Amino acid sequence: MTTATAKPSLGDRWSKAWTRDRRRIIVAAVVAALLVIGLGGLDPEDWFVTIMRGLATGAITFLVASGLSLILGLMDVLNLAHGELFMLGAYLGWTAYIRPDTTVDLLAPILITIAPFALWALWRPLGRKVAALGSRWAGWLLVAVGLGGWWWAWRLFPLAIWDPSVYAESPITFSLAFDIGTLVPLPAGTFGGPALIAVLAMLVAASIAAVGLVSFNPTGSPRPSAKGIGASIVALAAGLSILAWREGLVEGLFAMNPTLRFFLAGIVSVIVISAIGAGVEVALIRPLYDRPIYQLMITLGFGFILIELVREVWGRPEFTMPKPPAFNGIGEGCPGQGIGDLFSGCSTIEMFGARIRTYNELFIVGIGIIVLVGVSLLIKRTRIGMVIRAGVQDRHMVEALGVNVRVVFMGVFAMGAGLAALGGVLAGPSIGLSPEMGGRLLLSALIALAIGGLTSFPGAAVGAVLVGILQQIIIRYGQTGIPLPWLEEPFKPSPPLVPASTVLLMIVILLVLPNGLLGKAEH
Amino acid sequence: MSLVDLATTRKPWIVRHRLLLLGVLAAVLFPFVIAIVVDGAPISAVWENADGNAKFLQGLAIEVVVLALYAMSYDLVLGVSGLLSFGHAMFFAVGAYSLGILLKSAGLGLVPSLLIVMGIAVLVALLFAVVLPRVKGIGFALVTLGLASVTGIIISSSEFKDYTGADVGLQGVPSPDWLNPTDQRFRFYLVSMGVLVLVYLLYQRLVDSPTGKVLVAVRDNEDRALMLGYSTFWYKTFALIVASMTAALAGSLHTLYQPIVTPEVAGLGFTVAALLMILIGGVGTVSGAIVGAAVFRLTEFYLDRWFEGLSNLLIGAGYILLVLFLPYGIVGTWRTRSNRIGEGRSRLARLLSGSKGE
Repeated sequence: MTTATAKPSLGDRWSKAWTRDRRRIIVAAVVAALLVIGLGGLDPEDWFVTIMRGLATGAITFLVASGLSLILGLMDVLNLAHGELFMLGAYLGWTAYIRPDTTVDLLAPILITIAPFALWALWRPLGRKVAALGSRWAGWLLVAVGLGGWWWAWRLFPLAIWDPSVYAESPITFSLAFDIGTLVPLPAGTFGGPALIAVLAMLVAASIAAVGLVSFNPTGSPRPSAKGIGASIVALAAGLSILAWREGLVEGLFAMNPTLRFFLAGIVSVIVISAIGAGVEVALIRPLYDRPIYQLMITLGFGFILIELVREVWGRPEFTMPKPPAFNGIGEGCPGQGIGDLFSGCSTIEMFGARIRTYNELFIVGIGIIVLVGVSLLIKRTRIGMVIRAGVQDRHMVEALGVNVRVVFMGVFAMGAGLAALGGVLAGPSIGLSPEMGGRLLLSALIALAIGGLTSFPGAAVGAVLVGILQQIIIRYGQTGIPLPWLEEPFKPSPPLVPASTVLLMIVILLVLPNGLLGKAEH
Repeated sequence: MSLVDLATTRKPWIVRHRLLLLGVLAAVLFPFVIAIVVDGAPISAVWENADGNAKFLQGLAIEVVVLALYAMSYDLVLGVSGLLSFGHAMFFAVGAYSLGILLKSAGLGLVPSLLIVMGIAVLVALLFAVVLPRVKGIGFALVTLGLASVTGIIISSSEFKDYTGADVGLQGVPSPDWLNPTDQRFRFYLVSMGVLVLVYLLYQRLVDSPTGKVLVAVRDNEDRALMLGYSTFWYKTFALIVASMTAALAGSLHTLYQPIVTPEVAGLGFTVAALLMILIGGVGTVSGAIVGAAVFRLTEFYLDRWFEGLSNLLIGAGYILLVLFLPYGIVGTWRTRSNRIGEGRSRLARLLSGSKGE
């Protein structure tokens, strides 16, 4: 047996890559050399810590950048609200983690509101009548009336919530209380009127809003699908049973293992933000697909609103999110020795002569790697991934082949938002919560994307890690100082120079490689 | 056909600019009317710069003028030439800070300082132009955003505290006696209005000129403009230089008027403010920038007064509604409407005169 075709040898492939991508390889080599020189100037014991911290920063940046890159590649939308989704994810995670009682109180009205919307098809006959009036304003009027009624019903629902203007009842205090173990449920609120009226009013208001929305596109069967009816019943039943058994549920959540609750909070936050992402795509981005600059502007405006909303609800001051206790132990048997002690409950581990924080540097990096592998597999190995990849290359062709691109768009937007929320929940305990955290991270993520190649998924990972390590090296030099021959004192880069250095790296790389390290040319 | 073209009908100058002339008249009469009606003061209160609503509202109007100049320059870059720049605030901040530093630290007079500021503005525009041929679209947005944020970082970094005032902001800039914003408010008001009118006429002329038409062509289809033989790079560079000088002028007025200039004027938020203003007025319609700036500043001011903490939330919601429902802005929508009305009127005239049309 003879082999007909010989595989190209490594040398051949290398020389081909060299002729095709000479510039990329040189830039990559120069960047790598710079990082090595940068690390070389530090003490050897700092190397490992700096790299691990860089990877952790990179992992958070990657979680935001990856969603941004998928959305940009697939739908040509630069979602400038992505940083704010990250921030909102962190705040929601904090709420579900530290204040399960408030979360439970919020859940009931939300589930009750979902119930009429799940019966979408049922409203079509009514929607058709509204549409027959001939003006879209009729629909908008119904939506406005529905929202007004909903707000009125919402005010009747009991809500045990913090108050950012009173220090003793502010999120800051609750975070501290959690850390010293004195966190207790807030006193339960009471209905502002008969409970039955509040629930019915909310159902009616949501139905009115649903009719208004349906009237914009009332074609289709008036019979709800079995799934819709099921979802509606489940949502209503869940909402009502939460109202009925609130006390037991709150006690159960407070008695739960806090680390488990942290994971639960992460899941809640990711689900909610994904839903918000899907809603944003449908309501704000979809009407504007033929006006790209307006999409950019609307995401900007939406982010602005989210910041203001968070300031209103959670207050302006920055506060911390306590670490899950499984990564926050001290005392007996700590610090742990080696990676095997990751789940020993210690807050730090001795590795390679350096102290590594289990949560900040190991847990976050681990999740980042899992997400990277998971999403890569999703994109490379599944049918959905195939559609996404094809859509990034040529959206119109995929549409022509009969794929419902709209649904894929919505799904990818939701996934991107969910990844950002995951990043937010993970970042909360390490960088703290502030309404401005989203903007800062968006800048890092954009820089990472520009460096890696705007629409390239592996590029997002490479760029994020580069940005993370570069930032940490500069931060470390800010502490030790760089001895420069022409200065008497060592030069200590001030904190603002950290973002400036990454911005400069981005500008230089973009000027040499307009498509980034791993990106493909647009045309 | 763009909105800019729709509006340019050849009528006598005075007819074409009747709104502008009325606006100038109203602007000059405005402080007197306020002084008499609201303050109940004699008209001499205006040029004696007595405290009161008249003086206060003149101050608000000066802020509007500064924002209008700035928004107009952004409209030239984004609306007319279609360059997606996210670093426009840098033009403004460089103007504001370099004038402040020249007046305060270098101790130069106002006129030489302004000349130097204009020179610096040209250099900054050239910096943006260097990037132009390399990166397009979102890449350009990112690089300009990066350049602006580096500027913001330099301005607020402690290394240059003596010149820029770092985080606190630049304060104590000496303004010349004849143009002091507190003692000579009315004069400052008239000067800033004059600057605005001059720049507006210049921009109108520029957009109507062959150069302006090429800029619009670059926005609508750059490859086509290239193929027709226009060196689009130089046109875009020209637009950037003009915009940079205008924004620097706005920044200079800002420094002269405000007692303190904060590093926020270099941030992304300030570019977004310009975006918001031209969106309110109408993208690509130079005059929309003025309307947008006025609406923006006044809504901001009164919402702040009435709703305090909620004002920004309301502004954001209004912004989203605007993008969704009034994408051509006030001036843009008004122009398309008035064109339609004009069409109807001429059809009616034809009908009445007996000719059945073509």
